[in-house]
Amino acid sequence: MLIALVLLALASAPLGLLARREPRPLIGWLLALIPLALFAGLCSQLPTVLAGGRVDAALPWVPAMGLELRFALDGLSMLFALIITGIGVLILGYAGFYMDKDPGLGRFLATLILFMGAMLGLVLAGNVLTMFVFWELTSVTSYLLIGYKHDYPEARRGAQQSLLITGGGGLALLVGLLILGQAAQQAGVPATEAYRFDAIIGAGEAIRQSPLYAPAVWLVFLGCFTKSAQLPFHFWLPGAMQAPTPASAFLHSATMVKAGVYLLARLAPGLGGTALWHTTLILVGGATFVFGAIVACRQFDIKALLAYTTLSMLGGLVLLIGLGGDYGAEALAVNILAHALYKSALFMVAGIIDHEAGTRDLKRLGGMRAYMPITMVVAALALLSQMAIPVELGFVAKEWMLEAALESPQPAPLRFLGLAAILTAAVAYIVAGWRLFRNVFLGQPHPDVLQHHVEEPKFGMLVAPALPALLSLVLPVGFLPLVSQFLSPAAGAVLGEPLRFELYLYHGVTPALLLSLSAIVVGGLLATRERQIAALPGAPAWFNGGLLFDRLIDGMLAFATSLTRRTQVGRMRAYMLYSVLAFLGLVGLPFLLFGLGAVRVGADSDLHFYEIIATGLIPVGILATITARSRLGAIIAVGVVGAMVSLFFVLFSAPDLALTQLLIEVLSTVFLLLVFSVLPARFESLSPSWVRWRDAGIAIVFGALMTGLVLATATSELFPPLAPYFLANSLAEGKGANVVNVILVDFRGFDTMGEITVLFIAVLGIFGLLRFRRQVPIAVRRSQHAVIPGAPVGGAEAATPEEEPVKG
Amino acid sequence: MYDSVILRTVARLMLPILLLLSVFMLLRGHNLPGGGFIGGLVASCGVILQMVAFGPSFARRVMPVNYLALAAFGVCFAAFWGLPALFSGLPYMTAFWIEPSIPGVGKIGTPVLFDVGVYFTVVGVTTQLALLLAEEPVLFPMPPEPPGAEPEGAPQA
Repeated sequence: MLIALVLLALASAPLGLLARREPRPLIGWLLALIPLALFAGLCSQLPTVLAGGRVDAALPWVPAMGLELRFALDGLSMLFALIITGIGVLILGYAGFYMDKDPGLGRFLATLILFMGAMLGLVLAGNVLTMFVFWELTSVTSYLLIGYKHDYPEARRGAQQSLLITGGGGLALLVGLLILGQAAQQAGVPATEAYRFDAIIGAGEAIRQSPLYAPAVWLVFLGCFTKSAQLPFHFWLPGAMQAPTPASAFLHSATMVKAGVYLLARLAPGLGGTALWHTTLILVGGATFVFGAIVACRQFDIKALLAYTTLSMLGGLVLLIGLGGDYGAEALAVNILAHALYKSALFMVAGIIDHEAGTRDLKRLGGMRAYMPITMVVAALALLSQMAIPVELGFVAKEWMLEAALESPQPAPLRFLGLAAILTAAVAYIVAGWRLFRNVFLGQPHPDVLQHHVEEPKFGMLVAPALPALLSLVLPVGFLPLVSQFLSPAAGAVLGEPLRFELYLYHGVTPALLLSLSAIVVGGLLATRERQIAALPGAPAWFNGGLLFDRLIDGMLAFATSLTRRTQVGRMRAYMLYSVLAFLGLVGLPFLLFGLGAVRVGADSDLHFYEIIATGLIPVGILATITARSRLGAIIAVGVVGAMVSLFFVLFSAPDLALTQLLIEVLSTVFLLLVFSVLPARFESLSPSWVRWRDAGIAIVFGALMTGLVLATATSELFPPLAPYFLANSLAEGKGANVVNVILVDFRGFDTMGEITVLFIAVLGIFGLLRFRRQVPIAVRRSQHAVIPGAPVGGAEAATPEEEPVKG
Repeated sequence: MYDSVILRTVARLMLPILLLLSVFMLLRGHNLPGGGFIGGLVASCGVILQMVAFGPSFARRVMPVNYLALAAFGVCFAAFWGLPALFSGLPYMTAFWIEPSIPGVGKIGTPVLFDVGVYFTVVGVTTQLALLLAEEPVLFPMPPEPPGAEPEGAPQA
């Protein structure tokens, strides 16, 4: 059931391409049937979930490593999944109207459906690794959506920032999740189940005691904070408003940014309860809550204003997880629902205004009440919910938030910090909301607006924001018991134990109510001065996360370019030098520090004279190679070394190796002759003598290291020797008497498979280098060598290595 | 390349012998020294000998094989003989053997066929490398040969 749902969402994405054709608006609503079907499918599971049950589905892949496709539907997943599919219906229908002139609508809708499927998979996942796959998929699809208008540099920049930030956080998250799985295994969970959410939560007590807890939690925080745009990773979210409005509405209200909140809420019963967890979440969430709300009051772009309130609200949700307790879990559930409803409506209204008036700039709008009264009502309903005015759902949610802060089990300073953040944000929301409403709908129309033919949008477009906006009002007035019943299992999942609560609009005069009302009063007073607030001097221009991040990326690219220019010089001996030096550093140092004890020189008494001769000829050959004056002499001398090594293999009864070594010697002699035949017959000394002495020193050290390593491994007793096993089983299991060959083709057949693949890839590469070289003019080739995006063109000069050896 | 009567005569005689030897090496590999890797090297030695004696274009003509394709075929062939195990629910590359051994060849099983794939890959890769180097015009600028022209002293292929 669940697997089918997620697969349906992902597999039906190509259907979005249908919207390339006319009538686009109609096809948009037709495609909305996909999320509607998913919504209905999820609703069919509602009775089980509301009764406190859970629906499971799994498709094992590598059970021994806990890799599986596992989905689980409980209250929290249900809340998110219904929001995603429900708002998905509206967004798809809305997009058809909003982008009816855009020929790229098909591509956009296909990506949007994929985005929805990814998010659905994320919230339904029952295994952290399954969840991670969908987590990354949302990052990738949101990148495509934000960068949809790819001809605009701003859109590309926003898309890149979001991908780098959320993708980087995703990497941290993966490590965090793997550590969690390890910690669960150490707590006694079998490896097959260690990566399931319920197993990790179940082993929470042991994990919290584990030394792995702190690093795992920090990495999970990093993933969640980047995804949910918490300070200081917040700046990608305002940049993401470059996406077309339907995608913004979806991304802000239901998907993507909620993923971090979802994961924190999901893991809260297992990982929560420690000072680290609650302090971090309260501080980060609270700071983001206040920061976003205050910055929102000063924005002039409607979408930017809404983006900052989303940022703020995400901070609020994180804060609620940090506050914890019964009320915290309940408030989280209510706020997620309320925010999804009003934020999707507001973004779609912003899109309508943009669509009709041609601008989103608050300074160039006004007086729209005369032209689009219905839109105004919809906007007002949604805004009132955001401003937490009674009797909207946002009011109930805000009151629960205040209760959560008042009743939080956290120590008093943290609790009051949370309370202060909530009140500040509540006041700022009212200012921001009023600012938006007044500048768009009230006052005199701006001359720019008059030039446009502004009118009410078509019904098919207006209904999309109207529905969630109406629900924001109707749900609290008429259906609070139903909402409570629906949200109870979600809150229970966050708390970790079954929970039943009743929402109410008025419950006598409580501290929460008084605080809420006083926030409204203060906010109302401040709202009359919104112009002055917007005009206050802000932070200096350079103090902008997005700019600083861009500088960081530019600096990294410049560093990488200069490093590449310095290391990729195109000379064989430089590469040899780097490789050998790296080996000396990475292997030689540990060997000197830890491995010297393993070196044992066995005194073998029965040395035969021919062994001594073969051994003695090897250094002679090497010295001859080094001192040879002519190339031919050097080749012959190298051949002596190879022949002696083959002789060695013969003496120590390894005929296969000897044969191979001999053949390779023959072939490499042919190759060397081929290449050297076009070079001058005699060597010339081009390097200064200190370079040659340095190289000699490095070579001697390297040789000594290799000798030491061989001596150490030959006498090592760390592992039982493998040879007896192969000798005993070669004929019986491998049906062959030649043990070497049986190892190659049977016992270690996989290795051989890899080796011949590498051989083939190597020859392909050489073929490409030699054959496809001259067909491209040099000028073109130079420009193609800018491997690193953003690298200065001059950097390509050094990056033409394949010419160097040919010129000799 | 090197206009040497001795080299050319020996090379001409050695080609069939080396090819036969390579197959021999390949087939005996499972029980005696040899195997796909060694066999492949022997076979490509035979072709490379032609190349050294008569030049790359003659080597191409005397064995008209696309060595790159041969190498690709070898990799695929080797990978293919790991597949049968999957149909019996066993891990990839589990060996299967035909029970009675074939006289003169020995036991035949998927590992032997896998070795044949290795053989083809090694022949293709090594020979292709040598020919690529020898045909490199920057290294060996050669006047464009008229089509069908034989290098002096070359036997009729």
